[in-house]
Amino acid sequence: MPHRIAIGLFALVAAFGMTIAGTHAFDDSLYPDWSGGWMRMGSGNFDPSKPRGMGQQAPLTQEYRAIFEASLADQDEGGQGSNPGYRCRPHGMPRIMIAIHHMLFVTLPETTYVLREVGTQLRRIYTDGRDWPANPQPATTGYSIGKWIDDEGEGRYDTLLVETRGLKGGSSYDSSGLPMHKDGGAIIKERIRLDKANPNVLHDEITTIDNALTRPWTVTRSYTRNRNPSWVEYNCSEDNHHVVIAKEDYILREDGLLMPVRKGQKPPDLRHFQQR
Amino acid sequence: MVDRSAIRMIAITAALLAAGVAAQAFDETKYPNWKGQWVALDGNENSPWDPMRPAGAGQQAPLTAEYQAIFESNLRDLASGAQGADPTRRCIPAALPRVMMAIRPMEIVVTPRETYFMLEQFSTLRRVYTDGRKFPDDFETSFVGYSIGEWQDTDGDGHFDALVIETRGIKGPHTYDASGIPFHKDGEAIVKERLFADKTNPNILHNEVTTIDHALTRPWTVTRSYRRAEQPQWSEFTCSEDPNYVQIGDQGYKLSPEGLLMPLRSGQQAPDLRYFK
Repeated sequence: MPHRIAIGLFALVAAFGMTIAGTHAFDDSLYPDWSGGWMRMGSGNFDPSKPRGMGQQAPLTQEYRAIFEASLADQDEGGQGSNPGYRCRPHGMPRIMIAIHHMLFVTLPETTYVLREVGTQLRRIYTDGRDWPANPQPATTGYSIGKWIDDEGEGRYDTLLVETRGLKGGSSYDSSGLPMHKDGGAIIKERIRLDKANPNVLHDEITTIDNALTRPWTVTRSYTRNRNPSWVEYNCSEDNHHVVIAKEDYILREDGLLMPVRKGQKPPDLRHFQQR
Repeated sequence: MVDRSAIRMIAITAALLAAGVAAQAFDETKYPNWKGQWVALDGNENSPWDPMRPAGAGQQAPLTAEYQAIFESNLRDLASGAQGADPTRRCIPAALPRVMMAIRPMEIVVTPRETYFMLEQFSTLRRVYTDGRKFPDDFETSFVGYSIGEWQDTDGDGHFDALVIETRGIKGPHTYDASGIPFHKDGEAIVKERLFADKTNPNILHNEVTTIDHALTRPWTVTRSYRRAEQPQWSEFTCSEDPNYVQIGDQGYKLSPEGLLMPLRSGQQAPDLRYFK
């Protein structure tokens, strides 16, 4: 209840301030300072507190646990399993919030943008009070609606609550291929706020509700701030060494020649070429 | 408890009111309203860079003799069925200035220190610094380059109405358009832009783009224009490489309907498979 009062008064202040100034001034002091570049803390496993693969203890259904085990077995043999990222398919939500490269927040009253170096996938988190659209076009980043709250009751927003729907199915949580359901029905809830003791650390408590899970799965990712980051452009397609021919994955060496990804893999069929 | 909270909130409110809106306010009214979704007035992936001229040789790009020869060779390559020099066919992003054709929607987000161009095509993000900085001595090249902008009040009415941008450090490979009009390989192109709303229609934005490049005999100026969508809808761009084509080293090959490798041109040799036993 106190929070509702606070936000109500913010709105009053904002409205009154606009009347005084006669402008559309955006008072960014009402929002937390999330400027700079944010980079992951901990490992690239989706749950950084647990080991990779089965060690993640993801609460998968039996069906999806079998898919995951097959993915891990394929990766042990040199394949890519059910990791869709290796051929430059976008990582999507919630995987992109691992933040293996810098991410940047741009906060405006109606939208908070999450800008990322990797694959430059953009998240728009609408904070303008809108409702869910009837038929959002599925996307790997989904459709996100957020709400700023004053969790501490200090008279300014400190936490962004986000809910994301409308995801494309078939993503994975991390490079191990830990699978999400193919139906695209996942809902992801996030609670993003600065660490209470260290303003250069940001936490994102991510809860995924998905039909491939037996229960909601909550993981907390954290990020460290670089006040003056050097932004680097990263485009997966520019230097991708994976080639798929007749559904078989091969690797391109630096010298441009094909090589197998697993022991005993047969070469591509060259029947359409004249014999040398 | 509620009363105490309410009292505390009223005190905070009073403090905020006392501080007024001066604190860290971003006065949006100083800047033009370019919110919303912008998309090229017309065109598609195969449209020419200069929308006023025919594609290919009809563009009359002021290329040096050396680069004119490269371009003509590329046109012959395209005519033979090959992919040509257009890197976007291999899912390499359309670099600057080509990405500003905005054949898919873009959003322009203005903040006091930076203006962002969020382009749907290749999910490209341009960051234009408007904080008064100079070009750094050393910076990493990228497909969108390093951009510094300046807001201008050209009609003296107290509001910015034009954004002037200079971009350097643009990485290749890149071409002006799908026909493969080339840039110099030295990566020293400088792109100057001037964005401004149409004087009679605020839902039309013009971008006067001038490219200075060693592959050109003179600066080449082209004006691209965009219209604002009434009901924006954003899509996710996922580049799909041509499913009938594969690049192995410096050679391109076709894939047959059953996915087998095929030569792209008569007499083309099969890939070297020496690493298979």
